[in-house]
Order: sequence, then C-alpha cells, then structure tokens
Amino acid sequence: MPNALQKPQSAATAFMLAGAGWFVVGALYGMVSAIHLVAPEFFSNIPWLVFGRERPIHVNTMLYGFTGTMLIGCGLYYVPALLKTRLWSEPLAWVCFVLWNLTILSGPVCFSFGYTQGREYSEYVWAADLMLMVAVVLAIYNMVMTVAQRNESQLYVSVWYFFGAMLWTACNYPIGNVMWHPKTGAMPGLIDSIFLWFWGHNLPGLLITPLATGAAYYVIPRVARMPLNSHTLSLLGFWFLVALYTHIGGHHVLQSPIPNWLKTVSVVDSVSMVFPVSIVVINLWMTARGVGRRVWGDPAGRLVMGGIVWYLVTCIQGPLQSLPYLQRVTHFNNWTIGHAHIAMLGFGGYIALGAMWHILPLVTGRSVYSNKLVNLQFGLITFGLTGFFLDLTAVGLIQGSAWNNGETVYRVLPELAPFMITRAGLGIFILTGALVGFYNAVMTVLGGRRLAAEELQRAEEPV
Amino acid sequence: MKMTPGVLIIGALLVFWASAFIIAGLPAATMKEKPSDIWRPLTAEEEAGHRLYVANGCSYCHSLFIRINDWDIGAERIAQAGDYVGQEPIILGSERTGPDLSQEGGEHPDDWHLAHFTNPRYTSPISLMPSWEFLGRQEVRQLTAYVQALGLKAADYRTARQKYWKQQASAAYAAGPDANVEWIHSQVPEVWRRMPNPYPADAAALARGKRMYQDFCVNCHGPIGDGQGPAAAYLYPPPLNFTTLRRHLVENRYIGGIFYYQIMNGITGTAMPYFKKHLESEKIWDLANYLGVYFVGYTDANIEPRGIDAAYEGPWQNPYQPPAKGAK
Repeated sequence: MPNALQKPQSAATAFMLAGAGWFVVGALYGMVSAIHLVAPEFFSNIPWLVFGRERPIHVNTMLYGFTGTMLIGCGLYYVPALLKTRLWSEPLAWVCFVLWNLTILSGPVCFSFGYTQGREYSEYVWAADLMLMVAVVLAIYNMVMTVAQRNESQLYVSVWYFFGAMLWTACNYPIGNVMWHPKTGAMPGLIDSIFLWFWGHNLPGLLITPLATGAAYYVIPRVARMPLNSHTLSLLGFWFLVALYTHIGGHHVLQSPIPNWLKTVSVVDSVSMVFPVSIVVINLWMTARGVGRRVWGDPAGRLVMGGIVWYLVTCIQGPLQSLPYLQRVTHFNNWTIGHAHIAMLGFGGYIALGAMWHILPLVTGRSVYSNKLVNLQFGLITFGLTGFFLDLTAVGLIQGSAWNNGETVYRVLPELAPFMITRAGLGIFILTGALVGFYNAVMTVLGGRRLAAEELQRAEEPV
Repeated sequence: MKMTPGVLIIGALLVFWASAFIIAGLPAATMKEKPSDIWRPLTAEEEAGHRLYVANGCSYCHSLFIRINDWDIGAERIAQAGDYVGQEPIILGSERTGPDLSQEGGEHPDDWHLAHFTNPRYTSPISLMPSWEFLGRQEVRQLTAYVQALGLKAADYRTARQKYWKQQASAAYAAGPDANVEWIHSQVPEVWRRMPNPYPADAAALARGKRMYQDFCVNCHGPIGDGQGPAAAYLYPPPLNFTTLRRHLVENRYIGGIFYYQIMNGITGTAMPYFKKHLESEKIWDLANYLGVYFVGYTDANIEPRGIDAAYEGPWQNPYQPPAKGAK
C-alpha cells in the first residue's frame, strides 16, 4: 500500500482540498446559470450547458461537493482528535474519499448529458447513489472503530453531531432517493413528493446542519479559548434537531394536494425548529461571551461566527416562510432561492471554510499560506452573499406579490431583469472568493510555513 | 445525561426512525391513489416526452400543480391528488421562472410548440427559457406530446378543439388573403364587430401599445406588422399580415372591437393565443390603437358610437380618415 494512504490525516486533508475545489466548480456553474437568467441566448444551444442541466450541477456540487465534502474532511480530523486517538483506518477513509467524490463528479458528467433522476436534491443516478451510500457506511464503520479505540472516555458534542450526520444520512438517503426503484429513483404518483422532500429537507437538516454544527462546536471554544457554555444545552439542541427536523419536508409541497395532517405536522415542526436553532446559537455565543474580539479577530473564527449568524437568519426566515398564508407570496420564486443560498453558503459554507482554515494547519503541520487571503475570501463572500440575500428576497417579493394579485408569470419577467443582472454581478464576488480560497488552501498544503513542534502542540491542545 | 456510544448511536437511530415512520411511513401506508376525473394513462410517446422533461430539468422553472391563489394558465383547476396516479416521477417543482404547466395541454397547437421549443423568444419575446433546438425534431415532438397531455382528459378536450379549429383556419387561409380575413372577422361576435375603440390613440397610449406589441406580438407578426416575424416559418396558418386589414374594415370604419376581441380571446386552432390572462382592458385597447395606427394607417378610436367619454379623456379628436371607398 502506498505510504501516502497510510499517512495520518491525509484523507482529512484530501477531503478539505476537494471541497475547496468543488466550491470553484459549483460557483462556475452557478455563474453560468446566473448569466442565463439574464441572457438566455448566451451560450445558446449547447446541450451540456443548458439551464435545466447546469442548475442541478451547481446545486449538487455546492451541497455535496463543497459544503459536504469540506465538513466531512473537518470531521475526519476533529473526531479522532477529540477522542485523543488516530483515525482507525486511514486507507478506509481514502476509499470513502474516492467513492464520495466519484458521486459528486457524476453530477457534471451525467447531468450534462441528461442522465439524471431529475428530482431536486436527489438527481444523482442510481450507481452514484450506491457509491455515496457505501462511502457513508464505510465512514460510520471507521468512526465506530475509532470510538472503540479512544483514549478519552467522554464523547464531546462535535462527535455526536458527526455520528448523527453519517447515521441519519445512511438511513435518509435511500428513503428519499427511493433507491429500491433504481430506474427512476421515485415512487409513482403524488406520494413521491413526500419522499422527495423528506430527503430534500433532511439533506440540509440532517446532513449539512449536524456536520456544520459539529464543526462550530469544535472551532468556537478553541478559538475563544473558553470551555463550552453548557452540556445540557448541547444535549437539548442535538435531540431536538433530529426529533423536529425530520418532520418538516412537507412544507416544500404545502400548497399541493398532500394530506392535511401532513401539512399541519410539517408547519408545526418547522416553527418549532426555532428551539434547536436558538439553543445551538445561544450555547455557542455564550461560550464566546466576553471574548468576541478574539473570535471575530481570528480569520477562521470569523468565518465560523459568520456562519452561525447566517444560521440564525436562515432559521428565523425558514419557520416564517413555512406558514401557509405567507407562503402564498414567498413560494415558487426567488425568495426561496435567497433562503437556500444563506442556508447552504451562509451557514454550511461559512462554517466549512472557517473550520477548514482552522484545521488545515493542524493536519498539515503548516500555517495557513495567507491569512490575508482568508480575510479577503470572507469579505468577497460576505459581500456577494449579503447582496444575494437582499436582491433575491426583494425580487421574490415582487414576483410573489404580483402573482398573488393576478399578474401572470410572463408579465413579471421584465421586472426580474435588474435583479438578475445584480445577482450575476454579485456572483462574481462569490466565484472569486472560491478561487482565492482554493489557491490559498493548495498553497497552504504545498508551501505553508512549517510549524515548529511546540507551536503545533499548542495549537492541538484541547481546551 | 452522559452521552455514551450506545446512547448516541441507538438513540439517534431510534428518534430518526420514529420520525421517519410518521412522516414517510404513515403517508405511504395511508395515501390512496385513486384516479381523479381527468386522469388517464400516458401514451408511449407522451411517456418518452415525460422522460425528456425530467432529463432536461424542465422542472427547475415549471411547476406541475395549481394552488388556490393562482391566476395564471391552468388556474381553472386546483390540483388534486388523483391527477398524478402512476406517474413516476411526478416532479411538482419548486420554482416558477416559467408558468405552471399542469394544465398546459391544448393551450396552444403543436406548431406553436415547435416554434417555441426552437426558440422561446419566437413566440414569447421576453421569455427566459433556453432554446431546445439542439434536441432535434424527434425529441421536440415527444416533448410536445407530453406537454399537450398535461391536464390529461381535460387536455384531450382542449387539444381536440385546437385540431378542429386548425382545420377551419387552414382552409380559410388556403382560400386566399381576403377570404381569410373575412373568415377571421366572421368568427368575432356581432356586437364586437361594430364596436370602435372607445379610447384616444394619443401619443402616450400608442407608446404603451408599442411596449405591449414588443413584449407579446413582434416575433410572430413582425416589426412592421406584415406577419413575417421569425416564428412565421414554423406556423400554419401563418401570422396575420395586419396591413391587409385596411381593405377589410367593417362598414369601412370599424376595426377596434375586432382587434380587442381577437387579442383577448385568441384564435384557437392557430398559434394566436388568448392574452386575457396577461393583459387587462386598457392594455388591449392601447395595443389595438397601436396596430391600427402603425400597420393599418387608421384607427377607429373615439368615433361614434362612443357613449360618454371616460373621466380621464382630454379633448382628443381622431385625425385618422378611413380609406377612400374602392381604393386598393
């Protein structure tokens, strides 16, 4: 076996770098999609670059490729670190890496040519679904064995979340993707929308959220150099998350003819999501109370803190837009697109990036190539994303209100133009942020200043 | 509470599966798939079109269910669970950059769809939809078959009507330009045929009419109203050449009411859609004045019978003279 595959933490590094790379790919596809919403004849009649095919590539590459991959990379480091041991098997993690990334690669490769299951967030073809499942199951096995050989009796909250993310995904993904129907990946009839949005909402809720929350729970106390505020709140946040989040997918098809009791459950649980979210946010902010300057002053800590702010914004907005009366205006338009961006790039993406910048020196033994570039990335993405959120929310309200007042979709299209142009312009900032980050990450691994043994030890010290 | 590996793993799975049972298991066990009144199975060609709809991501811009607060196309029927029986996958959609398509079948004839899939701007000048010309004629035909089946039996009723009137309209067109116009006029109810445009054709109204023309009409009827827009090559009967209307004014003076009626209601069977969902009264009257002034050289705006002028109207005198009798 090649030595590289045995090298401690090499798989974690690979996951993080791949995540940084997928961020660039996803942002490129997002950029082209944004241009197409301004000028549909731009790159016209190119089969592999038509809006209906490039949009799922953008979405899946960002979800699974950027946020998911990067956060798994972080977890592969912090779980063993928190258990005071090494990952049980580095080569197994590499197998996991290959399968996971092949799944993501299947997006651009297959969707471009019309090989897709077509259900939003569940587009990957069956073979890719299978690879993803094997990767997740292998990750669970590796983690269980790591726990078994641990030298720290207590399981820290980040470990719970990482375990949760993997366990729930292993159960969730095959249900939502209807993997027992390999050809379509769907159920016949209306019931499919319930299976689809079961995964459609659990993907952010029970994969990305626990991964990001786990990473935040790891980074914030370390950067703040403060012990975690409350163990009880950690427990409440964790158990509420899985108990409530699992129920809320129905709010994506709230106005469709699914059973009323299901709508009621999904709205009630959506609103209840305020609790686990507030608990996590409060717990982390209380941990950093009094040392805000320390956290916000740290380039990686700032990204994680920024992610927590976006989490709060997303999860105040989310319950509100699940309310049936408000949804008459907010559904089906760019309001939702704005919400999705602050959830995935704001919450998931910021924390993934912050955790990566925090962990990369620990796994490579090299300091981050340039903290200035980390700050630049924060600035670029924050400008781009804040603009996105305001722009898309505004145009969503225009669309939704116009429709609700009897205007047709077609009549409102000219009103989209200034907002879509602005959005494409803001996309340049996010794309640049992705490129800067990728460059910085690669340079860190290749040429960051080597940390002296004592520096590294200090950095690795638990709090 | 101490989180041991056992509590963590077994607890996380238990809570998850309990929730999953409620939210996916119970609906799977209890939702009855009973066909609704409009349900029918898809034909092989429609199925092929459905696969193309899924493969090409049409669902990222088009939804497939009508809500209680919708007004756009299809709004006559709120979606019912039984409309979707057996379809796999039925992608309800989450975004409307284009209109909902659940009742699209029979809204337009097939040739309109060919022009529209080739380049959506041909039929809908401000559309943001990509061109699908690269799919080739066969796949566009399959996609059209699927789209024409949306609404199932209700769509069949509408497509049958399209086919019936397509025959009549084609026969009229084949009979020559003058017979064609007379046939089109004869389809307009009598009360509309002698109704002049009640509103002034002043500069502001004409500017508004121009905007409507460019947003809706220009790529079929052409920038000079001669029916030679880029869509014309795909459509039969082709779009009307407005300039021929000059010799077909009703009683040599009326045209406004006919314009209004035809814009509002469309000419089912031809590619001319109804615009009453897009445009309300003032916009249609303004557009009628624009067509008259720029392409016919005459508008009957504000002539008798006119009733009492609307409160906003100024002292506008119609300067346009109907063509001299017998002039060509």
